Amino acid sequence: MSAQSIGALSGDSFVAPLEVAYPYKRTVGTTLSRFFNSMIEGRLEGTRGSDGKVYCPPAEFDPITGAALTEWVTVGDEGTVSTWAWQSEPQPDQPLDRPFAWALITLDGADVPMLHAVDAGSIDRIGTGTRVKVRWAADRTGGITDIACFDLLEGARA
Amino acid sequence: MADRCAVVGVGQTNHTSCRADVSIAGLVREAVDRALADARISIDDVDAIVIGKAPDMLEGVAMPELWLAEALAAHGKPVFRVHTAGSVGGSTAIVAAQHVMAGIHGTVLTIGFEKQSDGNAMWALSVPIPFGMPVHAGAGGYFSPIVRGYINRSGAPSHIGVMVAVKDRTNACKNPYAHLHEPDWTLEKAMATPMLWDPIRFIETCPSSDGAMALVLMNEERADRHSGPKAWIHGTSMRSEPTAFAGREQVSPRAGELCAEDLWRKAGITNPAKEIDVVEMYVPFAWFEPMWLENLGFAERNQGWRMVEDGLTEMTGSLPVNPSGGVLSTNPIGASGMIRFGEACMQVMGKAGEHQIDGARKAVGHAYGGGSQFFAMWLVSSDKP
Repeated sequence: MSAQSIGALSGDSFVAPLEVAYPYKRTVGTTLSRFFNSMIEGRLEGTRGSDGKVYCPPAEFDPITGAALTEWVTVGDEGTVSTWAWQSEPQPDQPLDRPFAWALITLDGADVPMLHAVDAGSIDRIGTGTRVKVRWAADRTGGITDIACFDLLEGARA
Repeated sequence: MADRCAVVGVGQTNHTSCRADVSIAGLVREAVDRALADARISIDDVDAIVIGKAPDMLEGVAMPELWLAEALAAHGKPVFRVHTAGSVGGSTAIVAAQHVMAGIHGTVLTIGFEKQSDGNAMWALSVPIPFGMPVHAGAGGYFSPIVRGYINRSGAPSHIGVMVAVKDRTNACKNPYAHLHEPDWTLEKAMATPMLWDPIRFIETCPSSDGAMALVLMNEERADRHSGPKAWIHGTSMRSEPTAFAGREQVSPRAGELCAEDLWRKAGITNPAKEIDVVEMYVPFAWFEPMWLENLGFAERNQGWRMVEDGLTEMTGSLPVNPSGGVLSTNPIGASGMIRFGEACMQVMGKAGEHQIDGARKAVGHAYGGGSQFFAMWLVSSDKP
């Protein structure tokens, strides 16, 4: 094959790589923008659904009725793990460079959990009911990674 | 015998180049809320939802139906997705109508959308597929040789394209939802715009838009009890063909002709140019108006441009084409076909406002997509079929 060839013979068939990449952007709209802006200020806000449940991260539209959600609730920066999985070998671009837990965390004042990382140190220090607290990133830009991860609270294991 | 079906609600967003104020979900929801309000029903009255958008590459979202369920208030309802390139808005409305005509659902909500500002349609449509010639020229580059083929074949004078463009941009000024509101075009100014893809000039191309269109369809029993104006569906048709094959007629694809012939037969139309009051036609590049006039049977071969030159497709002509301003004034691609279908409904419902064609009783919505491969049409009327 010449250096200019775009393909290679694989058995009886030519096969060529196809890498499609160009920049997109994502507009979150005015409702969800409030959530991302509040995180820059080190505060977590959620929306209250038609059944009274508080979503954080917020739902733009009610999952049950479809109504646009407009009632905002500030929730706590501490919460409770409902379930989790252990990342024993962290990959590049993941929140932590040492073993950690992915966890569904229901923040105090919220009813629906969010997915984030917990810097638990070892697998035997996390479980359902573990209490955790937000560790804010030093430089916050309005993204879910403004939460660097969650730390265990003292006496965290329920 | 299929059930009868009527459109009882039409709702669209205010289309523009970038709706930074809304997410994709919020954009879709704006059209849905307006369609439901127009039909004077709530989402609870809807039995099923049919959503269409294409191509996915435009925003880089492969399966929007997965996460739009909340914005569509689809909780507990069946949701279907349709995907046929640029014709998708038309074929989506057809699938929605078929659910009603088949007697499966009594009230169906259908939506087409596109948020072009989240991506770049030019490059999304120019992916250099291995083993193919990488033209990197977008849709305009693909269609320009076909337009030249039409000009050569028909002997049309070079100003026909700009006549269509100036007409559509002028019409759009009467449509509050249109993306482009440019009242000051003249033929001279239009002829002086740059040649983008020879022989297609800048004025003869569509914009990139954010927008959505939603329709509410009902079966006969429910539509009869509904007191508002209705657009009864007299026929729908869809036809397809490959992009390239030996002997393919590129200027007037056979699939388009078959689609129109099928529609006229179903709706009992023998002389389309005489019997149809208004057409919302998918014209993303101006020269496609005379080309489709011929393809759909409104004009004899090589004669479509004469209808344009004689002003017959103006709002005051015998066959107004795109009084809304058409795709040339608004092009959220995944919604554009449904905007054509919905604008046809608005005409026979008497809801088109300043761009209303007085007395319109029979209107056609038309969409095409891919390399002129997918054709979708419907004919709606203020009268029951």
